[in-house]
Amino acid sequence: MKPTIFDLPMKTVLALWMLIAVCIPNFVMAATHNIHLSAQTLPNGQYAFKMLSHTSSEGTTPTYASEATIPGPTVFVKQGDVLNVTLTNNTPLKVGLTPVSLEVSPGDTQSFTYTATEVGTFPYYDKDSHLVGLFGALVVDRADGAVDSFIDEAGNIVSTKRADLDKEFVMFMIGSTFWGAEIVNNSEIPLWTNPTLGAVQDELVRFHILSLGPGHTWHLHAHRWPDRNSKEMIDVKMLQDGVDSHTFTIKAGSGVGTGYWQYHCHLFSHMEAGMAGKFHVVAAGESGASIAGASPSGKIFLNPFTDDPGLVTFEITDEPGRWFRSIRSNLLSPVTKTHSLEVIPPGGSVHFIMSDTNAVHTITTLLWPSDANDPNHGDHRVIPFSQTKAYKGGAILKLDVPGLYVFTCRIHPYMFGAVIVDDPATEGLDLGESIDIVTGINGLPTSSDLATRLLRTFFVATVQENWQDFTSSKAWHPTYPSVAVRISGGAVVNLKDVLEARYGQDVKLASLFKPTTPGVGEVWINTQFEKTAGKTKPGTITVLDATNWTIKRKIALPQINMNHPHNMWSNRDQSVIFQTQWFDDKLTFINREDGSLINNIQIGNTPSHVVTIPTNDDITVAINGENGVRIIPAGTMTPQPMIMTQLPGQTAAGPHGHWVTADGKLVVTPNVITSDIGLYDTDSGEIVARTPSGGTFPAEPHPLAVGVGIDKVYTTNLLDHSMNVTSLDGTLLKTINLIADYDPISPTGPDTVKDRDGDGLATVGVLPIQTPVDPTGRVVVTANTGGSITIIDTQLDKVVAMLPCDPGCHGVNFGAKQGGGYYAYVTSKFSNQLIIVDVDLNNPANSSIAGRISLVADNSVPKDDSVVGLAGMGGQGIYAIPNIYNGWVQQLPDNWKGGLTAAQLNPVP
Amino acid sequence: MSHKACAELSVGVLQMIVSAYRKKQNLNKIPKRMAICLLVIVNAILFVTGNVAAQGVSTGNLHRIEMYAEKQHPDYEYMAYRMLRHEVTNSAGITSDITSRYSTTAIIPGPTIIMDEGDVAEITLYSSIPNPDKIDLYESVSLHVHGVHYDIVSDGTLKYINLFQDEGATLVQSYTYRWNAAVGTAGTWPYHDHNMNTHNGAEDKGLFGALIVNPVSKTVEINQGGSIQSVSLSSIEKDYVLYILDDAFVGTVIDSQTGQQTSVWANPALTAQAGSNVRFHLIALGTNFHQFKLPGYSWPDAVTQTLIEEKAIGPLEKHVVAVQAGTSTVYMDGTFAGIAQNMTGSFNVTP
Repeated sequence: MKPTIFDLPMKTVLALWMLIAVCIPNFVMAATHNIHLSAQTLPNGQYAFKMLSHTSSEGTTPTYASEATIPGPTVFVKQGDVLNVTLTNNTPLKVGLTPVSLEVSPGDTQSFTYTATEVGTFPYYDKDSHLVGLFGALVVDRADGAVDSFIDEAGNIVSTKRADLDKEFVMFMIGSTFWGAEIVNNSEIPLWTNPTLGAVQDELVRFHILSLGPGHTWHLHAHRWPDRNSKEMIDVKMLQDGVDSHTFTIKAGSGVGTGYWQYHCHLFSHMEAGMAGKFHVVAAGESGASIAGASPSGKIFLNPFTDDPGLVTFEITDEPGRWFRSIRSNLLSPVTKTHSLEVIPPGGSVHFIMSDTNAVHTITTLLWPSDANDPNHGDHRVIPFSQTKAYKGGAILKLDVPGLYVFTCRIHPYMFGAVIVDDPATEGLDLGESIDIVTGINGLPTSSDLATRLLRTFFVATVQENWQDFTSSKAWHPTYPSVAVRISGGAVVNLKDVLEARYGQDVKLASLFKPTTPGVGEVWINTQFEKTAGKTKPGTITVLDATNWTIKRKIALPQINMNHPHNMWSNRDQSVIFQTQWFDDKLTFINREDGSLINNIQIGNTPSHVVTIPTNDDITVAINGENGVRIIPAGTMTPQPMIMTQLPGQTAAGPHGHWVTADGKLVVTPNVITSDIGLYDTDSGEIVARTPSGGTFPAEPHPLAVGVGIDKVYTTNLLDHSMNVTSLDGTLLKTINLIADYDPISPTGPDTVKDRDGDGLATVGVLPIQTPVDPTGRVVVTANTGGSITIIDTQLDKVVAMLPCDPGCHGVNFGAKQGGGYYAYVTSKFSNQLIIVDVDLNNPANSSIAGRISLVADNSVPKDDSVVGLAGMGGQGIYAIPNIYNGWVQQLPDNWKGGLTAAQLNPVP
Repeated sequence: MSHKACAELSVGVLQMIVSAYRKKQNLNKIPKRMAICLLVIVNAILFVTGNVAAQGVSTGNLHRIEMYAEKQHPDYEYMAYRMLRHEVTNSAGITSDITSRYSTTAIIPGPTIIMDEGDVAEITLYSSIPNPDKIDLYESVSLHVHGVHYDIVSDGTLKYINLFQDEGATLVQSYTYRWNAAVGTAGTWPYHDHNMNTHNGAEDKGLFGALIVNPVSKTVEINQGGSIQSVSLSSIEKDYVLYILDDAFVGTVIDSQTGQQTSVWANPALTAQAGSNVRFHLIALGTNFHQFKLPGYSWPDAVTQTLIEEKAIGPLEKHVVAVQAGTSTVYMDGTFAGIAQNMTGSFNVTP
């Protein structure tokens, strides 16, 4: 039955009539909107929403940009309005519109209906790709049009309506960039990145601040506003992690007048990353127009058809090699041969977004054209570009000076992204006359060996296909871009030809072979880049049986999506392996016997190394992305507060490859960010000493790992190519220059490496990393990323031998050799073999390579997930079972002691 | 409708609002006509108050302040502000020197500057910061203040940002800022450097402090006996200024009766007499977010007008916790990073 009004008693009709009358404001205002959006790909590879059509039962609708924009079109409705939304997906991705549940396949169109019940400003966005552009704002205003009150110059809180507003700004805070638009006279104008927002003095301006992803604090200079329409005045507002928004109204220049007033995120790291713009308040009678910032549709390489300032975007990812991934790299890589190189004209901008990583990072210039920070040409307030500590977000900067810029992360210094700022008027891509390097090397000619060696390193590190596969019979054939580049003296050369002429091509790789003498126990190796089917993040543990040199097990831990397993240690009885996840914030506990997961706990941002305290078996974890060493009491899985690596308020030290002294009294940390060697009392947590590290170059030595001998500490300085030798009270005893025999300045030639320090040897340790001291304290074995292993005799504290290693040579650790003595196990990031060095304790100079073992597992090897890519690649942390270091070996259970010699059980008599 | 008629109606409306608030009822239930009237009245009241306030600006106190930005040792990573002179001239033209309230050395946080709504401050900053990295006599250090009124020359930024001029002190020249704590700017606000080293300034290197602008009403909302009470500002015994850095609280304790300021540095133990009214002035600075807790206490939230037990606070946000001291407890940052770094201190209440 369908009763009509005529069937109802008069009383009911009256009651209904009254009800309708009461609700009239809502009923009268409620409108139906028909909105058709599309998702598009922008010229720089980012994605964006575009308004195709918007009609309303109210009649007038706003004028939108004719192109796809970031942020997407701002949709203004009133509470109670009904939105019939259609989304057409013109991108190659699946695209949805959160908060409604929707997923539109490429090329498809779908519709939904949404009723705007809650007043406020809300983001609409794609749940997967919002950080790279797929977002916009929905503003739901009160039916009566009232908006947030503002405070005037006399302190009056003045209520106002939307109709009273002169303009509105929508500002999304994404990564470390503002994405803006303005709405004036019912017309929306895209303002893109970090725009200059304009307003005339005393205009009423409403700001809609929205945030997706890591949070922010919004600050606008010289203006204040009621917090959420209350009496509380604020000028800073936090936008929480995740999804958040804040809306407020101001009277432009109220009480403060005209000027360029800065707006910025007030998170210090984001400020350092460039997250700022200007709010330009002009006097009455002047133009209050806004000025758009760099845009994904602006002028960049392959999109020259505009004069708008352009923007290229790198996604920061956990994908091996492609840690800096140009979002249009599929378009560029056929030419550039890498996914990590971009090309822009002078005045273009570079945008970074940490959209595909679980780690904290910095975005730091490793090198730049020498005149980029010259006050007369470049921008010395922007170049060198870096942040004091690691963080979540992104970065943005404008580059005006032609030449080569390489970006890295200070925490993960093998992440590389390169930008060539190319002056279109010159022939060849501009690499610049000379470069400055972050270590304080200035004016290095781009024709020099070091410059081209760094370029080659860039193309090896960033291109998975350029890594060395020791299971292949083919010669190693790294590919380089065959492009004309302009270098020192204006010479134009082919980059591929230069690199191949200098560093060879189709190099035959060494053959694999097993050591003749077995090792003791197991060797656990972090094959950090190996990819498996069951997880989106890379990395496995490869367990090698040292008694027969076969792979015993692969552990990927798909159930926790283990991400970049970097370094390991174990408890005393060797039953539990502690595993750090360097691109995450987790420490993982693994059953050594069967490789099963015991627990996965949050430990802190970007944990790097883990070592136990030999005297009490407590676990110490270096929190590389932060400022301390986290302690977990023996037998527990509950972290206690950190041993802080610096005093309160001081720069976060960012400790990486730490160690503990054999007596358990000191933790020794290489403090990456603050460039020093820290000694900390394990009982009190007090700082014992902090010794400045480095010595070869003026700045940024980047100490990465320490080895602790009987009474000395050996610290490698990655970017300084040096080794500091210090005493256990922090006194600097000696600095060993590992590149004393190397000429970095001249073009590559026969004399690039020769005996220059007069010791009769030509040795080079470029970019040294792990550097343990053997259990007896006699030998230091150092893995040098540049592709060498250097041996230091601690009686002389000098390099006595050099052995070949692979690109990205990284990890070293000692294990017991059957019948006495030690093997040093050495891994490389960009190869899939383990090198075994037979260490000669009587004559360290006689140390030699005893074997080469593939880290690729065949089908017979037990696994918890199937390997689908980069098999055996990414060798980093190594941990030999049993732990035979002095201090630890004495604590082994009897069953493990049984396999060791008397000398191995008491290495320092 | 005349203002007079409105005024008569408004008494009733106000009563209704109070009663609605107490019953946690929806204010929308107030008849629309009365609500419009209320708006007129409130606006009228605000208008009048505004005029009074505007006059207050001209009759407020004038603060003449001189401060140094310095580095106490060339090797120190930190810099800090030091109070050199603070004189206050009241509306009757009488000047008093209150410099003795401050530490004679540079401190972190910097000197807490206290003004009343309607006051104006002229602050001259000097720099004595040695700069071994850049032998540059013109390296600038500044005071950028939040909350209050100032024109573009007092923004405390570089020309790089304000496109006008470098607004800071150098080794060879001081810089004077004019802050107008106009009516409507009451609250606790940060001030910090915006210029040193980069265009972002060295706020992360110790160059920050707090400005407290007392409201014209001279009252403060406080939790007394479990409800929000408006009490006289003069009833506050102690003000704790606590900056929440990424890794530690760093503070100054102010004897609110005498104005005497004591620097108490990192994660200080704070003390109070049982029954006394005290305030925590919280300002975060750095990159981390925080979750401030004072277990056992709740305090009024100015925005929601409810009692809260914890407060999320992000860099350069400010929040004032006003409580009556009862039992001893700790203050702490309850985030993962706050706990990992042991960001806590004791709040000792003596009987």
